[in-house]
Amino acid sequence: MLKDNLKKALGPMNLEKVAEGEYAKTGYHLEVTAQPDQMVGVAQAMLEAGCFLESFTAVDLVESFDLVYHFANFDELCRTAVHVPLGKKKGMYTITQVYPGADWYEREVFDLFGIHFFNHPNLKRLLLPEDADFHPLLKDFKADQGND
Amino acid sequence: MIELLGVEEKTYTLNLGPQHPSTHGVLRVLLEMDGEFITQAEPVIGYGHRGHEHMAENRNYAQFLPNMGRVDYLHALAYNHCYCMAVEKLLGLEVPERAEFIRVITNELNRLASHLLWFGAYLLDLGAFTPIMYCFDDREHVLDILDRITGSRLTYCYYRFGGVPTDIDDEFVAGCRAFCQRLRSRWADYDDLVTKNVIFINRTRNVGLITREQCVKYGVTGPNLRGSGIAYDIRRSEPYSAYPLFDFEIPTGTRGDIFDRYMVRLAEMEQSLRIIEQACDKLPEGPIMAEKVPKRIKPAVGEVYQAVESARGEFGMYIVSQGDVNPYRIKLRTPSFANLSLFPELAVDTLVADLVAILGSVDVVIPEIDR
Repeated sequence: MLKDNLKKALGPMNLEKVAEGEYAKTGYHLEVTAQPDQMVGVAQAMLEAGCFLESFTAVDLVESFDLVYHFANFDELCRTAVHVPLGKKKGMYTITQVYPGADWYEREVFDLFGIHFFNHPNLKRLLLPEDADFHPLLKDFKADQGND
Repeated sequence: MIELLGVEEKTYTLNLGPQHPSTHGVLRVLLEMDGEFITQAEPVIGYGHRGHEHMAENRNYAQFLPNMGRVDYLHALAYNHCYCMAVEKLLGLEVPERAEFIRVITNELNRLASHLLWFGAYLLDLGAFTPIMYCFDDREHVLDILDRITGSRLTYCYYRFGGVPTDIDDEFVAGCRAFCQRLRSRWADYDDLVTKNVIFINRTRNVGLITREQCVKYGVTGPNLRGSGIAYDIRRSEPYSAYPLFDFEIPTGTRGDIFDRYMVRLAEMEQSLRIIEQACDKLPEGPIMAEKVPKRIKPAVGEVYQAVESARGEFGMYIVSQGDVNPYRIKLRTPSFANLSLFPELAVDTLVADLVAILGSVDVVIPEIDR
């Protein structure tokens, strides 16, 4: 039911992909691909459907980033994975105005990948020291590069 | 009044931690205070950051297994379980039923150990010294049972891809049964000592309220969520392993205050005992390891998200495989991370004396937040 409602809500947004996921293989019921400027709208639709932000992270694909948002629901089993392809040296729009819980997740991605989030209320390093000058989850980072 | 005296109204900053007994690890909270009231609280995390996610990219799948016992040291087996299930999903491995039963029993024992520790440590936060003596006595029995089968007392690395490495015996099952009986006989003591204590009730009733809206916006899970009346437990909502075979309840609260969260954890321990007893009764014979586990773990290209219910809430693992022997990316979605991010909202407008009570009631494990 929730899956159909989400499909209906996401349908008119002109997203790149809204498809059923292979739950047994990936753990997703719904797979979505969106452009960076569509993400705030997608998050809004998720919140209106009563979903919570389960996790948010990035994957460094060397020539670009893949941002991955996972949403789930307390009442009904329906996990939605939203992939957002993002070019290198590009910033992303924050969704903290929709999900205040995204605050720390976005700070973590900023910290570990160096991705900037526009309009984030408090964008600073989260896990690493404030004066760190590296982003450890980038694929070109080597462990001995850090300032030790 | 203050203006009359010619003094400007001012707030001041109070620093809690990073080394403070009530933060249970290295957590720092910057507090903006107006007299005894908190106007702003900002947790500062990362002191225990070890870079588990970075380590994952530089190790093969099996080498990363011991790391999973060191993220949340109190409920390590849930993390073992999640990682093994995620990799089994990537490889398409079927786990024998007996192995799943053993996983469930040991997992629930570990959950009991974690809740018992929370119980003692939390009351210590509130200034009650005796309860920790009782629950550590009980917890020691769990650790002995688990030590015998897993070989370690705390940072377990017991599950393997496809099953478990060592089988349990009759002595283990008898030990579990005896422990269940013992712990059950202690509930009355716990109630008399703590639950009915009027000082405890006054310090926890209607303090640190969490609403449903806050849970949705911050992704709060676990007993903190169930204390607010939402029966969301991954063991039931997204059944995994052998959990669908057992009869157990999801305890919930009604108000969402500290007392409700406390009651939920206590009730959850009783449910864990029920699961253990049923699993001991129904324990099937058979192999404990899948037959065709590849020597070299090299999953095909793909990604997977696996969630389990840890003692603190939903632990999720997102694994991206690019067909290599090393994972391409592993993201650990840890429950305390999301639960603690709500803390600034909970702390505002409370007294500094209640702050420790609220922080402890959220049951955070710092290494799991910092990763």
